[in-house]
Amino acid sequence: MSLLIPCPTCGDRPFTEFTFGGELRPLEASEVHADFERVYLRDNVAGVQPERWFHASGCRRWTTVHRDTTTNRVED
Amino acid sequence: MASFDLDGRRIAIADGDTVASAAYRAGVRTFTRSLKSHRRRGLYCLTGDCANCLVTVDGRPGERACMTPVRDRMHVRRETGWPSAEHDALAVTDRLHWAMPVGFYYKVFVRPRWAWEVAEKVIRRATGVGRLPLAGPPPGVKPTRFVRTDVVVIGGGVAGLAAAAQAASDGAAVLLADEGTPGWSVPPGPTRDAIARQLGEATAAGVRIETGTAAIGIYEGPTVPLVGPHELLEVEAGRVIVAAGAVEAHGVFPGNDLPGVWLGRGAARLAGVHGVNPGERAVVIDASAEAGALARTLRDAGVDVTETQGHVVSANGRGRLTGVTVDTPEGRRTYRCDALVLSLGLSPRDSLLRMAADDPVSGAGDVIWPGCTLLEAEQTGRAAGRGELVQPREPDPWPALGAGGYVCPCEDVGIDDLEAAWAEGWTSSEIVKRYTTTTMGPCQGALCGRHLARFTAGRGAAPVATGRTTARPPVRAPRLADLIGGVHEVIERRTALHERHLEAGARMDRSGSWMRPGTYGDVADEIRAVHQRVSVMDVSTLGTFLIAGRDARVLLDATFSLDVADVAPGRARYLLALDEGGYVMDDGLLAALGDGRYFVTSTSGGSDHMEAWLRDRADRLGLHVHLVNQTAQMGAVNVAGPHARDLLAALSDDDLSRTAIPYPGHAQITVAGVPCRAVAVGFVGELAFELHHPRSRSVELWDALLDAGRAWGIRPHGLDALDVLRLEKGHIYLGQDTLPDDHPTKLGLDWAVSMTKPSFVGKPALERIASLPFERRLVGLRFDGTPRRGAPLTVAGAIVGRVTSCAVSEAAGGPIGLGWIRGVDGEFPSSLRSGGLTATVAPTPFYDPRGVRLRA
Repeated sequence: MSLLIPCPTCGDRPFTEFTFGGELRPLEASEVHADFERVYLRDNVAGVQPERWFHASGCRRWTTVHRDTTTNRVED
Repeated sequence: MASFDLDGRRIAIADGDTVASAAYRAGVRTFTRSLKSHRRRGLYCLTGDCANCLVTVDGRPGERACMTPVRDRMHVRRETGWPSAEHDALAVTDRLHWAMPVGFYYKVFVRPRWAWEVAEKVIRRATGVGRLPLAGPPPGVKPTRFVRTDVVVIGGGVAGLAAAAQAASDGAAVLLADEGTPGWSVPPGPTRDAIARQLGEATAAGVRIETGTAAIGIYEGPTVPLVGPHELLEVEAGRVIVAAGAVEAHGVFPGNDLPGVWLGRGAARLAGVHGVNPGERAVVIDASAEAGALARTLRDAGVDVTETQGHVVSANGRGRLTGVTVDTPEGRRTYRCDALVLSLGLSPRDSLLRMAADDPVSGAGDVIWPGCTLLEAEQTGRAAGRGELVQPREPDPWPALGAGGYVCPCEDVGIDDLEAAWAEGWTSSEIVKRYTTTTMGPCQGALCGRHLARFTAGRGAAPVATGRTTARPPVRAPRLADLIGGVHEVIERRTALHERHLEAGARMDRSGSWMRPGTYGDVADEIRAVHQRVSVMDVSTLGTFLIAGRDARVLLDATFSLDVADVAPGRARYLLALDEGGYVMDDGLLAALGDGRYFVTSTSGGSDHMEAWLRDRADRLGLHVHLVNQTAQMGAVNVAGPHARDLLAALSDDDLSRTAIPYPGHAQITVAGVPCRAVAVGFVGELAFELHHPRSRSVELWDALLDAGRAWGIRPHGLDALDVLRLEKGHIYLGQDTLPDDHPTKLGLDWAVSMTKPSFVGKPALERIASLPFERRLVGLRFDGTPRRGAPLTVAGAIVGRVTSCAVSEAAGGPIGLGWIRGVDGEFPSSLRSGGLTATVAPTPFYDPRGVRLRA
């Protein structure tokens, strides 16, 4: 599998250098039910989704990437 | 003179020899025995496509003799046949063909069920394949190198080299992979000259050429894994040019697998490149444009060549070729010969192209225009190099199947087997493939793929059922060691004091990725040293972080459950890290350094996650924070025991009183000349100072402490002693005493959570959980005998929990432990049974409950 993640400091790097941080989700929710859904539910879209990647074997910086989950293409 | 060993026989090596050419020169004709029927198989394609010459080279099974340059003192074994490839008792199976019908595996040994277990062992031993080297050292694992390039070209023939040269002179970074070396298998002549010319141009243009390197597939990206002699290259390319050439058409007729039957380029390579004649009298079947050139190469080498057109009726002979019968335009003729050379047309090696439909992949040369001229090869190469897509040309009609013979020599599948499968109702190429295993052998359909498609088409299968079967990686057989290239790396982290622990006779335990001392030999005295004298422990594995910057406090406050504002400079606090579900993820310590800087520790195994987590939050919250993970650069030694302060005083001029280093708190001090952040904490229940210091100074600090500590009977302690010491204080081990869904209340850690804060990670979840029934909690236990970790805890015979930690403690006055219990009828029981013992719920800490000793 091939996937290049654009790192803001290092440029395009192979995804194996990164730790996947999951879908981009809000940091908090206004009330208890919304917070429960925020914590436990994922959209899991077939298409472009914003997600977090951590350049663990590189500069150790997080970045938000818009990736098409069906093609692994990353949008600019 | 250089020589190699083949089955115990010494064989001389000539310049440029492969294992195949040297062995053939020495008279070897049988290279393998076939998979099922144990028929003799000799050299056939010599282009690395068929499975006829697989041998074991220096212990590595399944090497292609024709693609392996032979080296002095190499050990080569023919790997099939019993007792040997030359004299194979199992050849009797060739006459038992009736007993092994197509779909054999699905038909026999079904009942009784045990029959298959017995038969499988016999069958596995009898199949003609190499043996894995199970004894001896495991084969080395190749490193993986990640390469990014603009263009990767697969194949170093005329088209591939031209494509590479063109792309490189247009400014692209180009990597070219060739299974051998460019031109090595081509006899002298115009093709070889053209390759040399293009090679010169490509090299001058800056193309990087990887020799002995095979592409095994094209994956999305496109990514092309290349298996090289010393490493696995994982190539991310802007685009891929496949110039893998073509394989000659495999002829199917009775006797087509006899040693002495050759594909034309193979025979020409042997004679023209290696100077070894495939035979004395050769019949060349001329059904392609290059047959004339191949015949000329053989004739120039001194072979008595007869060229003829037409269809081969049969190759004659037993065990080796003695003649051939051909339906020529002039009628049926039988020739006496010892070599039958087939030049029946070309089939593109297009598996890579076919598996890369959605990727920027183009072809050049024979792979898209099979049988193209040298000029066309160069032109299509140039076009592909410029990024143009050249439309493929229809290959020549495929030679008709004869009246018998092996369609798939790898798996011993004959025409009769395909017909039997068809008669049983398997009527599409994909299904016939699976039922008969045609195309599923080592050649992966290189010889038989188009025959299979043609067979189903000829039977009138629906068009959708007559296609070539799906091309998938690997197109060349990698070894398992190649597939795990770069993966099998056990990370073992060592502290700066590792050698010191070994010198002291410590038993080292693996703790996550770290190696840590379990004990130095006497656990009981290690514990006594902490309680009564003084002791040291290497705690360099703790995760340590320096957190600074304008928003450092904001980040910590918004993340952790403690009130960071309450921690004054010079003070320290127990730190609980909760996840979004309100569950305990990690724990450690937070020390305020002043100037808005903080020192945070995590558990040894939790440091990577702690760092990623804090960085993520700082980034998402848009905070100005600097975070330095100091785990690798800082060492730490815990000095513990009633004489801990005395020991430090002997090595330091700094004030060590509680005014200078409060409990819990910290101060910067110098010990034996080493600058240390001394943190007063209480994991082991005695007066203790964690000395965090530069890792490069660990050894001198450790040595100084042990040396000065002799006055008080110092003895270092390891994990075994620590397990008892922390249990006496009721401190939990995350992961051992906890479960993934433990919120602070279950663990009795409510005191570490400030619910009055506006927000921290997990707060909404804790509020939600507070309204749920409280079913399970971790409690301290005392036993009336020696308990067992993991043992169930019961009430009236019903299991309500289990022991998670336990020890017999002198200091706590007997057997103690921690364990989970569930409520029974709405109440938590206070007396339980564990095995034959009584377990009584007891308050923690078990030892020095008011913490007088550690505050000393």
